[in-house]
Amino acid sequence: MLVYEGDFLKTVASKLMKEGCRVYAPSEIAYTEINHDSQISDVKPKKSVKEFLFPQNEVLIGYGDWIEKVPLNRERRAVVGVKPCDARAIKLLDRIFLEGFEDPYYRARRENTIIISSSCEPDAYCFCESFSSPFSEEGADIFVSRIDGISFVKAVSEKGKEVLKGFESDLRNPTDQEIEKFRNEEERVRGLFRRSVEAEIQEKMKEKFDSEIWKEIAIGCVGCGTCTFLCPTCFCFDMLDEGEKKGIRYRAWDSCQFPLYTLESSSHNPRREKWQRLRNRFYDKFLYMVESKGNVFCVGCGRCISECPAGVDIVEVLQEVSR
Amino acid sequence: MDTETEKIVRNRVAELLNEDVEAFVVFVRKETEPRERITVIKGPEEAEKVALSPLSVNNTARVLLEVVNNFDGKVGVVAKGCDSKAIKGLISEGKIEREKIHIIGISCPGIVDYRKLIAFSPEDVIFEDGKLIIKPGDKEIPLEEVIHDNCRYCRSPSPVIYDEIYGKAREPFDGTDDDEIEKLPADERWKYWIDVFEKCIRCYACRSACPMCYCTECLVDPVNLAISPMSTAEEKAAYPRFLGKTVTPADNLFYHLIRVFHHAGRCADCGECERACPMDIPLRKLERKLQKEIKEIFGYEDEDIPFLAKLDIIPEGR
Repeated sequence: MLVYEGDFLKTVASKLMKEGCRVYAPSEIAYTEINHDSQISDVKPKKSVKEFLFPQNEVLIGYGDWIEKVPLNRERRAVVGVKPCDARAIKLLDRIFLEGFEDPYYRARRENTIIISSSCEPDAYCFCESFSSPFSEEGADIFVSRIDGISFVKAVSEKGKEVLKGFESDLRNPTDQEIEKFRNEEERVRGLFRRSVEAEIQEKMKEKFDSEIWKEIAIGCVGCGTCTFLCPTCFCFDMLDEGEKKGIRYRAWDSCQFPLYTLESSSHNPRREKWQRLRNRFYDKFLYMVESKGNVFCVGCGRCISECPAGVDIVEVLQEVSR
Repeated sequence: MDTETEKIVRNRVAELLNEDVEAFVVFVRKETEPRERITVIKGPEEAEKVALSPLSVNNTARVLLEVVNNFDGKVGVVAKGCDSKAIKGLISEGKIEREKIHIIGISCPGIVDYRKLIAFSPEDVIFEDGKLIIKPGDKEIPLEEVIHDNCRYCRSPSPVIYDEIYGKAREPFDGTDDDEIEKLPADERWKYWIDVFEKCIRCYACRSACPMCYCTECLVDPVNLAISPMSTAEEKAAYPRFLGKTVTPADNLFYHLIRVFHHAGRCADCGECERACPMDIPLRKLERKLQKEIKEIFGYEDEDIPFLAKLDIIPEGR
């Protein structure tokens, strides 16, 4: 970890913009494009950073008599001030899109998107502490932590090291007091969390699959896709064609909360009822993904709680499961 | 809807569950934030967890409709002004039988935007004498400061249909409901709405949260229209897709206009659509505008027969 005197997010954003790179930063709704470093805010956007690598709609092929084009997006972009939970989610998405079968569309965007994360403080919905930390560098190319007017900077990936070239004279090793300051700040922020979940809940989940609690929890649920669309780790998509003889094949976010998601061609639907679909969201994140990938697919950003129209709360649900 | 009303309602729910009511659609407090959620209770012993306050934000009519036919006996429901409007609408459209339900009507002081209170823990927020009191420190917050914007336009804070009624209602809004957007020239209005709809992620929270959006087949994701056991392969391949999953301003606009048109003369004014929207799209502006048009053009407002039924009757009578 190195030290920069000043706000490194602003400095690096300005430099990247000068180089012609499109730069995005947090705003209320999403990570949106900025044209000046003063536009970088600290809010947690309602939409996560996943849309930069896995957009809601993405054209896969253009077709006519045969495949006419395969558009890969190689535009160089940087997202600065990414929340550590969002950055961590990218690491989980990498496991889906890059392990085994490699998704070329995701790969192209991933290689050309620079993720510069910044440590943050939890709001009333956050619980990333249960899996990692608001000072986690996972998934980022560069990790920045701004404390008392100085920035702690760490290049996490090769891509990140590349960006830091040219800043050598401005970055120095931290003093012992500065390291101490960083540790204290991390300690202080860790104490601010109001929510937590039990990540090692898999055995309990296996027991509770047929429990009545799922029907009870689902009573209020309206059955929309907000929780899954806003989730930084939800990655399900559907593929559709537009145009009969000539057109595009595109993919679009899909949600296991919609009945059409599991509808089979025979008209059988294995998750016909709303409570079954609701249950699936928790089982997928906290059991199935642990079994198949070894990771809980929740980063604790709290968006599915704060934006749920019905007050369904992943923290309360998991407490109920562990009871 | 103060703690006093909450107590009365809690007792009445218990009494009714001891009598001929089999289940009750009620609010209960969340453990982790000052907010309530809807649930269904079945035994009088569960009535002690019934909550009622300006944090009872959601519309109970939606859940009532969902569960009412799961029970042979009567189903009770706690209904604020707008909830009762939705219930009345659902009865007039033949979705709920009046005899099948027992409505505890609540005269409503307005509900709060719970996001403004997330800094506090749930047990510290109390509502008394038209004020929210935050323990510790007994800090008072006038309800008007944190009230949901939609409630300021509420014309029926008191229930329009009920079996018994409690609470003290706010003053109904009786002004003309003009929005600044209406005054803008057409091209600016167009730009405004296209910009707004650009944000939509089509999670369908607005549709799903709406008590009047009860179609089992919605044009945006037709389940049975798509496939039935009798469908041939060709039919499956060519099932009607009214709207793709392309999330463009044009398609989003198409979705929202169709959704709102289906509420012509039916909207309960509860504001669930706007509250549900994770992208802060001002959906109530559309609903209110439509309602105004229906009143001005067809002279229809909150009547006992559905709007479309009335349209059928007019030519015959003339």
